[in-house]
Amino acid sequence: MKYILMMSSTQAGVSSYNTWAQSDRDAVMQTLSVIVKDLVETGEFVATQPLAEPSEAKVVRGEKNGLPVTDGVFPESKEFLLGYWIVDVATPERAYAIAGRISAVPGPGGVPANMAIEVRRFADGPK
Amino acid sequence: MKYILMMNTMRAGAGVPAWPKADLQAHIAFMQSLNRDLRDSGELVSAEGLSFPNQARLVRADRHGAPVTDGVFPESKEFLAGFWIIDVDSPERAYAIAARVSAAPGPGGAPLCMPIEVRPVMSAPPPEML
Repeated sequence: MKYILMMSSTQAGVSSYNTWAQSDRDAVMQTLSVIVKDLVETGEFVATQPLAEPSEAKVVRGEKNGLPVTDGVFPESKEFLLGYWIVDVATPERAYAIAGRISAVPGPGGVPANMAIEVRRFADGPK
Repeated sequence: MKYILMMNTMRAGAGVPAWPKADLQAHIAFMQSLNRDLRDSGELVSAEGLSFPNQARLVRADRHGAPVTDGVFPESKEFLAGFWIIDVDSPERAYAIAARVSAAPGPGGAPLCMPIEVRPVMSAPPPEML
């Protein structure tokens, strides 16, 4: 079963992260890198992708003539996807365990950040 | 340049299976045709649909690193319904594809005009993440 594990935050959360000490930010990347290496070894790794800053996000709607209308205005409460991991696991519990590891990435001063990670199964429908 | 196009819905979006069968089939045929076109133009990197929001869980680690799951979300929560990753020459091309997704047919064949969130993705994960 394929699951996507999504890490999201508000613009305020991203701005705060950008002020962390470089060593704290390096610790996050180091921890995530170990998690990915472990998933590659177990054969559960499918993909991971960090996204660019929320300031570059746009919302697009198609007009009646099909032309795109772009808008970059979001409510303050908007949660932006920061990055995701796609895993192929035997059970939902295994997906939750991996999400728990990602949740525990170190925050400032090495204290676990305990970020909420949204876990969703991929649909089996037609592509 | 790689972009992700995200189709988000409120929980109400889970009403889709209740559409008349013909409308649902037209919607799926539209998405299949879009994906074929993007594959033919070499712009499709990946496309996935997600299962319904009632299966979504939030996971946090407790102090011992064990996962704590929770399936309670605020009413206003936007759920990702599906996404496309595309590799295109310009942001304008990404917006044009997003507009096409936005205009997918809904009940009675009327364009849904859904908002599609468009974000550049980092072209490659930083080496330290691999």
